[in-house]
Amino acid sequence: MIEVAHLTRRYGSLLAVDDLSFEVGRGEVVGFLGPNGAGKTTTIRILAGYLAATKAERLVVAGHDVQRDSMGVRRSIGYLPESVPLYPELRVEEMMRFQGRLHRMERQVMRRRIPEVLERVGVQDRGKQLVGTLSRGLKQRVGLAVALLPDPEVLVLDEPTSGLDPIQRGEVRDLIHSLADDRTVLLSSHILAEVESVAPRVIILHEGRKVADGKPAELAASLGGGGHVAVEVMGAASAEDMATLIGSLPGVDSVATGERVGIHQSFQVRGEGDLREDIGALAMTQTWALRELSWQRPTLEQLFTRLVTGRGLEDLDGPASSGAAAAPSPLLEAEPVDPPAAAPVLAAGLELSSGPAESSAPPLGTPGNASSKIIYSLNPFDRGASRDLSKPVSVDAPPEAVSGEPDPSDGDGDGESAS
Amino acid sequence: MIGTLVVARRELSGLFMAPFTWIVLLVVLFINGLLFSSFIYQTQGNVTASLSESMTGPSFWLWMIFLPALLSMRLVAEESRSGTLEYLLTAPVSDAAVVVGKFLAATGFLALLWSSTLIYAATLDYAGGPPDWSAVIGTWFGTILVSGLFVSIGMLASTLTSTPLLAAFLSMVSCLMWLAIPFLASSVMAYLVPLLTSTAAEQAALVERMGSVVASMDALRHFSRSFQMGVLDTAEIIFFLTWISFFLFLTARSIEARRWRG
Repeated sequence: MIEVAHLTRRYGSLLAVDDLSFEVGRGEVVGFLGPNGAGKTTTIRILAGYLAATKAERLVVAGHDVQRDSMGVRRSIGYLPESVPLYPELRVEEMMRFQGRLHRMERQVMRRRIPEVLERVGVQDRGKQLVGTLSRGLKQRVGLAVALLPDPEVLVLDEPTSGLDPIQRGEVRDLIHSLADDRTVLLSSHILAEVESVAPRVIILHEGRKVADGKPAELAASLGGGGHVAVEVMGAASAEDMATLIGSLPGVDSVATGERVGIHQSFQVRGEGDLREDIGALAMTQTWALRELSWQRPTLEQLFTRLVTGRGLEDLDGPASSGAAAAPSPLLEAEPVDPPAAAPVLAAGLELSSGPAESSAPPLGTPGNASSKIIYSLNPFDRGASRDLSKPVSVDAPPEAVSGEPDPSDGDGDGESAS
Repeated sequence: MIGTLVVARRELSGLFMAPFTWIVLLVVLFINGLLFSSFIYQTQGNVTASLSESMTGPSFWLWMIFLPALLSMRLVAEESRSGTLEYLLTAPVSDAAVVVGKFLAATGFLALLWSSTLIYAATLDYAGGPPDWSAVIGTWFGTILVSGLFVSIGMLASTLTSTPLLAAFLSMVSCLMWLAIPFLASSVMAYLVPLLTSTAAEQAALVERMGSVVASMDALRHFSRSFQMGVLDTAEIIFFLTWISFFLFLTARSIEARRWRG
């Protein structure tokens, strides 16, 4: 439906579109993605016949050559520019009739089609309203209605959701979804979630060049190597220990130690397939309290930033520090020691500061919660509903070893500095 | 052709939906009416002379400098600013149809404005002072051609900038210059001709040639030579139509240049 081969467009010395080639098949919905100034609007305007191409080997829309048969193209596409240009002094119906006349529609056809299209976009009750008094969201709908009136084979929408609030954005998205059934749709956006939700295929542009083309999921897989498992646990061992343990699981390629929020330590685990079950089992045996164990697919946003800035996905997720090989010796020490501590935990609450942990933690530089002899309860009903779940409950008085400060925030602070 | 009419129709309906248009109509018609009645007094009831004065006098030319500029400034510059030009230029109509359609609408509006003198004439005819109808209609026809010429100049100015006010200013200055060509030319010639020629015969020949060039652009004289007399001279009509087409052609080219400039 749309064929573009070696399209180049310059504005003076500025190269806006650089040797761009792509094809959009009949009935396909394709999202153009790119930061501002990537050449999305320029390409779309060239396809719509508003701008001329500096150089193009082949530019065909709906079977018409854009450069030779511009009128044919203009008759068969519905184009909605980003600014949604409508004459503010006209009423919605008048605007529609003007569009109908420009497309040489017959009077009877127009009379039937206008209410039909207005209903399709959900503004059937606004026919008599002046376009200038419409809200941004309604204007967008009317703009779509105008573009749809001649029943175009190809719909080209430039930033159809820009300037809308989240609810309107969702509505317009649904609308585009419903329109996509029987049409070829090319839409552009710099909001990635938008394109992801509407278009099964995206073309990512950057500085006038195509940097990626494909299904969002496939792009994610090929560029980012799939996803990762996000783990957030609270355990007696140090972050390095835990990372080493996780890293020793079969199938794990790398473990990135993430932030420590309060008493919880987060990790990002990459490897073959979904490692959630294995990590869950590990946490169970280690008596770590799991707060999060989820499968994170890289978002298009991350891919996009990666493509554009050339940085790796790991860099974008957070500080990359594979702690798998950081401390091999405590692993041996911690592994046989921790399981016995599981018994009291399962009985009532979770005792973290077992003897061995106490002995192993100080040398590793995380003395905070490891040595403060605190019992955490994971059962919110255990100690009454009034318990603040965000704070650990101290049962025993802290030993003198911890600088005389029983405040759990002390432990937090230490933990943060350690991670 | 259909596209031209569709664009012209929208442009006219757009004009009449804007309060600006009605204010202009009100003010111009009110002042013209006052002027006309004063002309009637001055000429002691000479209907034809008063009508001619109101359509060809200094007041007319003053309006002609302002009104076409004000009307044409919005035709392209404002649409370019609001983005609707993009809509129009991606609609299945040619650039020429857009330009001519807009031109017809603005000129049609001015024709309507000047047809007020026809109403004066008809009223006076009814009241018992029959005017020279051929002169009145000829002059009215001439005013339409002059309006067209100035609108086409204004449209060209309007495509050169996306600031309507600047477009209006450019167009006013150009129209003023256009009217002042004979005066400007004569002063320039008086200075230049002695520098370029040596003998008196050469001098006379050069003055004559330049005079004919200037005369071919002298809208005022072309206007007064025929229409005011009530004669529809094809040469004069062609004079105006040629210049109008020239400026419309430039306007269409200038719009096409936007596709390249972006």
